[in-house]
Amino acid sequence: MVDSKFKQLLLALRAGKVTFAYPFEPRPSEPGFRGRVVVDTDKCTGCGGCADVCPTRCIRIVDVSPTYRIIRRYLERCIHCGRCEDVCRYGAVWLDLEYEIATTSKSDLFIEQHLFMGSCSRCGRCYVPPNPLDRLMVVGFRKDEEV
Amino acid sequence: MVTIEQSTEQINQAVAALQERLGEKVRAIEQPTPHRLYVTIDPDVVVQAADILFNDLRARYLISAGMDKRPLNGGFEVLHFFAFDRANVRCALVIPLSGDPPRIPSITPTVPAAGWAEREFRDLFGIIPEGHPDPRPLALPDGFPEGLYPLRKDFPYDYKPPLDHSKTFPFKEPPEGTTVVTVGPFFPVLEEPSQWRIFVDGEIVVGWDYRGFYNHRAIEKLGDSVLTYNQVVFLAERICGICGCVHSTSYCQAVEEAAGIEVPLRAKVIRTLILELERIHSHLLWLGLACHILGFDYAFMQSWRIREPVMWLAEYLTGSRKHFSINLVGGVRRDIKKEQHQRTLEVVGKIERETKELADTLLNDMPLIARLRGTGIFTPEEVRLTGAVGPTARGSGIAIDVRKDHPYAAYDLVEFDVVTQDGCDNLARTLVRVYEIFESVKIVRQCIKMLQELPEGDLMAELPEEIPPYRHGMHAVEAPRGEVFHYVFTGENNRPYRWRVRAPSYQNIQAVPVMFKPGTTIADVPITLGSVDPCFSCTERMEVIDIRSGETKVLTEQELYRLSREKTAELRKQLEGGA
Ligand code: SF4
Ligand code: SF4
Repeated sequence: MVDSKFKQLLLALRAGKVTFAYPFEPRPSEPGFRGRVVVDTDKCTGCGGCADVCPTRCIRIVDVSPTYRIIRRYLERCIHCGRCEDVCRYGAVWLDLEYEIATTSKSDLFIEQHLFMGSCSRCGRCYVPPNPLDRLMVVGFRKDEEV
Repeated sequence: MVTIEQSTEQINQAVAALQERLGEKVRAIEQPTPHRLYVTIDPDVVVQAADILFNDLRARYLISAGMDKRPLNGGFEVLHFFAFDRANVRCALVIPLSGDPPRIPSITPTVPAAGWAEREFRDLFGIIPEGHPDPRPLALPDGFPEGLYPLRKDFPYDYKPPLDHSKTFPFKEPPEGTTVVTVGPFFPVLEEPSQWRIFVDGEIVVGWDYRGFYNHRAIEKLGDSVLTYNQVVFLAERICGICGCVHSTSYCQAVEEAAGIEVPLRAKVIRTLILELERIHSHLLWLGLACHILGFDYAFMQSWRIREPVMWLAEYLTGSRKHFSINLVGGVRRDIKKEQHQRTLEVVGKIERETKELADTLLNDMPLIARLRGTGIFTPEEVRLTGAVGPTARGSGIAIDVRKDHPYAAYDLVEFDVVTQDGCDNLARTLVRVYEIFESVKIVRQCIKMLQELPEGDLMAELPEEIPPYRHGMHAVEAPRGEVFHYVFTGENNRPYRWRVRAPSYQNIQAVPVMFKPGTTIADVPITLGSVDPCFSCTERMEVIDIRSGETKVLTEQELYRLSREKTAELRKQLEGGA
């Protein structure tokens, strides 16, 4: 038994110091890490693909009118699965390496986008105009009034 | 390696036995794959059928599931699942029921392991198991309104009925002259809130009662009413905080089986690799906590130190140290690239070396061994009756391991041994886990080798436009704690019609009281419970009630640990005195 205690002591000594001084020294995450969700609102077309697959359903879509869509992302519910990044064909949403996103205010984790959409002349529902020129033609595209 | 012929033979034998004894009462036989059997029978012969499978053919009981099929055919349905481990066959008894409330004869007197599952479908579907020896509620909270059954299809997933707070749980009466030790509702070593009432005479345990499911989160309800197939994957992964990947893999495999999707080999290998990393970290975590309970904080620190690099490795490979989110129905989401192989091998190599050193010192530590040896005895026959799985069963010499018995992912392509120990005690279960770490390291190395040979990038199967509705799929994965079983009945609207999950602890916790053999003391209770690895956590409090004086004494976490540790210290003294 004394023998085994001695071995245990050696083992612990050999391991040395294993803790880090974080947060006093930075610990950046490695590439591939699934951290904070970032949205590039310029690229987002409002197609709604991400809302469709999000497992926590934290991306909500409201169609205010046939040409006007609001996307709300309640990221306090996000589980950082990265499914939105997977499906977005426009590269408008991705997970970056930032992980220090704890906050005392939920609004820090809230993103709201207002988008002008094409309106389908048959069913009247919102759709993404196929190209940028079409998007410019959309009614109200350059209006910036408060709603 | 079990051949398809052996499976077919087993299926034929089971079908013949059922048909011979039940005759006309066997309504239909379905055999979607060579390893699956669904037998539809009449409700009145269910006990007989269960008896044939469980006692005559020695099948292992898995779980039961209720189903509300009223929107489809106006009735309910109960499924009892069994496994033939030596022949790679899983079998379900399908029992359609009519009437409201539907009734079915209980199989618990014949198959004790079905105790909880039957109470659960009574609570959640209102299907009454007639003749059940313990007809108390299981899953629903105390004071839940009568006649409301949450898993029925007409119960909205977001409805929250008012609870009658004056109702309390009908606990068992303790035997005359004993004292009740209440452990929980927040359990000292279990993660889940659960309450054990242990009846003691002096220090010796003489009986017990259990109340759990305080944290029932209606995950199955969400899966069949709100989420879609690929969203459920991430919910499934969050069933457990320590071994989540096993749930998502098992779920995906069940859906893939139902839909007939063939997953690319590379994806299978990646699943295997990630599952083994999960096992390594989980076993090291357990080893640390078990030693912590016994007062060996040295080993607690060291084994968690050894474990940490696996977590970093997992983060490097999948993007997160836990909740790897690697699975989707049809394959995996991330490749393990060439440049990542070297680091993976280095990390597991280091873990193998360090675990060996640590195990070497621990297994020569007399007081530790003395605390583990001979406590929590669990005989092979008890394993069969309670349906215990994983290291809990393997510690009693029963070589069941889903990886070998029902190969999934790439386990049929790798070489490894199923670790068993014959001690039947806490020590045996500890040893099984320690040796399994080395087997896992072996598997990881072989996976890396296979990945080097396979072409990169082939990760996802082509999915059919729509997953065909109303098909069965059942699959299991060997989690660190034992077999995780998922059953999926596919439905419309891109989501399962019914999804049933059985985690290993569901069976193993039912087995714990059996391990409290005559002569067990309170100080042995934490480690015995801990030895089945039922998800550890910290104590809130522990209450000792003296029935005769009505006095209540509250023990804190520290005091409970103290009891356990004092026993270790005492043993140490004795050992030193004797030496
Ligand atoms: S998928 Fe991409 S483009 Fe479509 S709504 Fe989401 S972020 Fe915008
Ligand atoms: S990372 Fe996952 S949970 Fe978070 S917003 Fe994207 S899809 Fe939703």
